[in-house]
Amino acid sequence: MVLDDLGSSLRGTLNDLRGKSRIDEDDVGEVVKQIQRALLQADVEVGLVMELSDSIEQRALSEDPPAGTTARDHVLKIVYEELVELVGESTELPLEPQTIMLAGLQGSGKTTTAAKMAWWFSKKGLRPAVIQTDTFRPGAYDQAKQMCERAEVEFYGDPDGDDPVEIAREGMEATEDADVRIVDTAGRHALEEDLIDEIEEIEATVAPDVSLLVLDAAIGQGAKDQAREFERSVGIEGVVITKLDGTAKGGGALTAVNETDSSIAFLGTGETVKDIERFEPSGFISRLLGMGDLKQLSERV
Amino acid sequence: RAKAFATGRIIIEEEDLEEPLWELEMALLESDVEMSVAERILENVRENMLGETRKQVETTGELVESALQDALLDVISVGQFDFQRRIEGAEPPVVIVFTGVNGVGKTTSIAKLSEWLADRGYSSVLANGDTYRAGANEQISEHADRLGRKLISHEQGGDPAAVIYDGVEYAKANDVDIVLGDTAGRLHTSDDLMSQLEKIDRVVDPDLTLFVDEAVAGQDAVQRAKQFNEAAEIDGTILTKADADSSGGAAISIAYVTGKPILFLGTGQEYDDLERFDPEELVDRLVGE
Ligand SMILES: Nc1nc2c(ncn2[C@@H]2O[C@H](COP(=O)(O)OP(=O)(O)OP(=O)(O)O)[C@@H](O)[C@H]2O)c(=O)[nH]1
Ligand SMILES: Nc1nc2c(ncn2[C@@H]2O[C@H](COP(=O)(O)OP(=O)(O)OP(=O)(O)O)[C@@H](O)[C@H]2O)c(=O)[nH]1
Ligand SMILES: [Mg+2]
Ligand SMILES: [Mg+2]
Repeated sequence: MVLDDLGSSLRGTLNDLRGKSRIDEDDVGEVVKQIQRALLQADVEVGLVMELSDSIEQRALSEDPPAGTTARDHVLKIVYEELVELVGESTELPLEPQTIMLAGLQGSGKTTTAAKMAWWFSKKGLRPAVIQTDTFRPGAYDQAKQMCERAEVEFYGDPDGDDPVEIAREGMEATEDADVRIVDTAGRHALEEDLIDEIEEIEATVAPDVSLLVLDAAIGQGAKDQAREFERSVGIEGVVITKLDGTAKGGGALTAVNETDSSIAFLGTGETVKDIERFEPSGFISRLLGMGDLKQLSERV
Repeated sequence: RAKAFATGRIIIEEEDLEEPLWELEMALLESDVEMSVAERILENVRENMLGETRKQVETTGELVESALQDALLDVISVGQFDFQRRIEGAEPPVVIVFTGVNGVGKTTSIAKLSEWLADRGYSSVLANGDTYRAGANEQISEHADRLGRKLISHEQGGDPAAVIYDGVEYAKANDVDIVLGDTAGRLHTSDDLMSQLEKIDRVVDPDLTLFVDEAVAGQDAVQRAKQFNEAAEIDGTILTKADADSSGGAAISIAYVTGKPILFLGTGQEYDDLERFDPEELVDRLVGE
């Protein structure tokens, strides 16, 4: 596969550096080029890739490797640190009463994620409820209701309602006893002004503690504009990456995190309510670059 | 070289190409064309341009750009056919099965295409081969109700091939022109679900298999297009959510790896948001003004 080839060409370049203790500009240039390729193939936005690779290059040339460290390990450590710096730790979600609103493009996985997150909070001993405000997509009410039944969590929705803001208001009242209220919204994208206005109203009504942007792992360069618009309209505190059980690397999430100055909260890894994981930086970065455990190496250096 | 010089022409050499090719590669990546696809297309451009001559008034950059435009048009025009004529030429009922990963817009595209066909005088029946996802039956049944189409569906957990097969039987018994068979979204990494797709393809033996993917997809478009095409050979692609994205390089990636045409664009969530795909328009958007 193409992606594996790249992973291994990166590994190959780095192996060439294995024995060296000093690296010259050409060596660094070659490694940086390979890192660029890996990031671009993972759907990280082109401008961000260039920024990242510039700072990696500068650091690799200006910082002296600690004694006993090979040049290769030194560069890898810098790459890892720069990426960790960008993605940060998992979005903080205290185990206490709160309201979380989900936003994102059509079909990105919001409704599935709402049920998954409710399941996750219930396993932590909290009482969650999902509020479905999508009045647009046919079957949205039934989908959310059935997913919540599978997750064994409380559900609120109105199959006959046609005003999402009204449903949101009623839903907040109806689920007063719940600790964690997860508000699902209809899919929309940055160019749909009416729908952006609508989610602003929903946001004003439910006053979420946290708004999460739900992104398909396969999203391409468009992640930047989409994230920027959602950040502008409702404010984004965290990102959920879905469909990571496929081959997409999820670099769009990196773009989105950079654009919204937030972090990643959850990963979706399948269609059932249990297929959810908290974000963990090192595994994600390894996947992004198509390489093994960089954290371990970084700690050793 | 002397002769070229004498005629006021300049020979294009390796180093003249480096910069413009790199810039175009970045432009293609910014438009979501998959990297290996972009590189192979640009490699062809490079080979064609090397040793060519240019007039002194032209820049190499301009020439490379126009060569790339031609190369992209070649890729994206692959196998284009008139969809309506294809349907006209097949023995009714014409069976069309829709495949693709989760949430790209298969079900919505079926509703849209059913309307597109009705506008052109063809009747259609919907068959819900998505017996898996929560709310799948309710979703397609609401579309069918609104459009006034017959829907064939089974209980959740049923055999998808059997549902579409029943759709075909219904169409035969009721003189319906076209069967639109939905399938559950699945990722190409799921061996079980991909072999289920092979089975549907074998049992139903559709006249057309349409792969559905979204214009916002990035580099992964190549992987999934390739693997869906291998599991159940496709005849063409519907690219949805083109309204969310202005570049749509995924179209290039998909056409390149499958060798099959992009047939329709989905441009919104309404039933009439379905357009015939125009290769030239896309190429203009990718490298044009
Ligand atoms: N394989 C896989 N499929 C997923 C995952 N998350 C969601 N899906 C599937 O993706 C499709 C879309 O998910 P939904 O939850 O309906 O997405 P949505 O964002 O609510 O969609 P809209 O409401 O139409 O905007 C469904 O087929 C889900 O089963 C995941 O992590 N892995
Ligand atoms: N903006 C926009 N949204 C679209 C388009 N096509 C589909 N959608 C939306 O995308 C979401 C997913 O569409 P579906 O038709 O359910 O997708 P699917 O491929 O059948 O999904 P699964 O069956 O879950 O795999 C819905 O919210 C649709 O309204 C389009 O061309 N533009
Ligand atoms: Mg939804
Ligand atoms: Mg569907």
